[in-house]
Amino acid sequence: MAKTYQEINEKIARGEAVVVTAEEVIGIVKERGVQEAAEYVDVVTTATFGPMCSSGAFLNFGHSDPPIRMGEITINGVEAYGGLAAVDTYLGATQPSADRGIEYGGAHVISDLIAGKEVHLVAKSQGTDCYPRKELDTWVKLEDLNEAYLFNPRNVYQNYNAAINGSSKRIYTYMGILQPNMGNITYSTAGELSPLLNDPLLKTIGMGTRIFFGGAQGHVSWMGTQFNSACPRDDKGYPQTPGATLALIGNMKEMDPKYIRGAVYEGYGTSMFVGVGIPIPILNEEIMSFVAVENKDLYTNVIDYSVPKKAKPNLKKVSYAELRSGSVDINGKSIKTSPLSSLKMAREIAEELNNWIKKGEFFLQEPIQSFPMGNTIKGLEIKEGESR
Amino acid sequence: MIAKKILLSFPQKSAGQPMAMELIKTYHLDFNILKAFIDDNIKGTLLIEIKGEEADIEAGIVYLREHQIGVRDIQSVVEVDENKCVSCGACTAVCAVGALEMTVDWSLVHHDDKCLECMLCVKACPMRAIHALI
Ligand code: SF4
Ligand code: SF4
Repeated sequence: MAKTYQEINEKIARGEAVVVTAEEVIGIVKERGVQEAAEYVDVVTTATFGPMCSSGAFLNFGHSDPPIRMGEITINGVEAYGGLAAVDTYLGATQPSADRGIEYGGAHVISDLIAGKEVHLVAKSQGTDCYPRKELDTWVKLEDLNEAYLFNPRNVYQNYNAAINGSSKRIYTYMGILQPNMGNITYSTAGELSPLLNDPLLKTIGMGTRIFFGGAQGHVSWMGTQFNSACPRDDKGYPQTPGATLALIGNMKEMDPKYIRGAVYEGYGTSMFVGVGIPIPILNEEIMSFVAVENKDLYTNVIDYSVPKKAKPNLKKVSYAELRSGSVDINGKSIKTSPLSSLKMAREIAEELNNWIKKGEFFLQEPIQSFPMGNTIKGLEIKEGESR
Repeated sequence: MIAKKILLSFPQKSAGQPMAMELIKTYHLDFNILKAFIDDNIKGTLLIEIKGEEADIEAGIVYLREHQIGVRDIQSVVEVDENKCVSCGACTAVCAVGALEMTVDWSLVHHDDKCLECMLCVKACPMRAIHALI
């Protein structure tokens, strides 16, 4: 028997909705079967907490007296974009600071703002008739700003590579430090708890879906960049390589610094740990069978990150159960595996979202538009010549 | 002969020198200053490695405590700040001896007795939650 979003929301309002996490649901389906489980469970919560570089914040500072059209902008020494209107800016998570480099970047400013800390705002301008001020140097807090929202163009990757280093030198990557001669493997996923692996064909996640975003209630605002929904999939539809992504939006003023944290990858750059939880409504049996997926049935590839090319060698297809076991066998050698995203925090987020729904504080939003399934990604061709 | 790392804290900064001479003479201990911390000129902290017979080391530590010097055993010179750690696991990737490990519930655990002080984890931690005492 199929359910609608409205029916589930009514159950949430009455405090009667059955909400479980994507890990808990596995046992329920094994015990009761897909059909009975689909009737019993209303919402399955998924979550992830890991580094997501393609993130940043839109900020509006309000006008000073006399006003300025901010051109060059820095916040705690981190450059923010000056090409919007007078006092609007976009602060990118990976932008390093002038004084501390990657040790303190845009992501750290964002988490400091969310933590309520005062930040140092410096701006310069040419000065115009309507915006005469040429310089500004002040301190602001999140509560002083008019608007402050995260708009992350690419988060929550649906599946991602595992990384290895086939060279004889240690390498420093966004997949962490990789030891020489295939010394270790790193991977970044919440696996069977991961949002887009539980809804592989994006049947319920689309534009407008309400989510847990950094501790606030946010939304999926668009498909994420490099949206590769046409990626190779198994018979059931689970992606075998990096697939779909999501663009997310949410109010920083409602966020919790616990779930948005600045991060540093040695020799690579600044990134941001983002906590995201997505509820999946169990509308029918098909959706229930998707969320019942286990780590042993989810696969990725071990890719050699030492090869400085776009197409890197693929050494082995492995399941997330193998990666989670602590070692993977490659060419007869047992190689240690380590995670990069926090399953512990992802579980906490899935529980938190679960509580919000059970308490009737969070309702499902049906997507106002679905995302295309056949989308591929293009590379960038380098063309010769000074003018064309 | 054994070697041991200890962290000493002095009530007054000046108390360090005679104490050291005493240790060498009376207890036949060798020691090496790994790091001196300066704290407001009021209190000094010193990370030292002492070498000698086990009984002599123990007697030396008793002597230090009698002289109002704080003594803390240091198993490992790297410390994990639990408030900053998110249990991501990135540090476990570089810890060859398994001093940093994930537990069954995917929390980070630090077995400091296993640490070889390679310091790689300090750089590997994206939260900068691991700091080195030296
Ligand atoms: S890398 Fe840092 S944050 Fe991650 S588990 Fe290790 S100590 Fe914790
Ligand atoms: S210093 Fe080296 S051996 Fe010690 S915990 Fe860190 S990585 Fe492991």
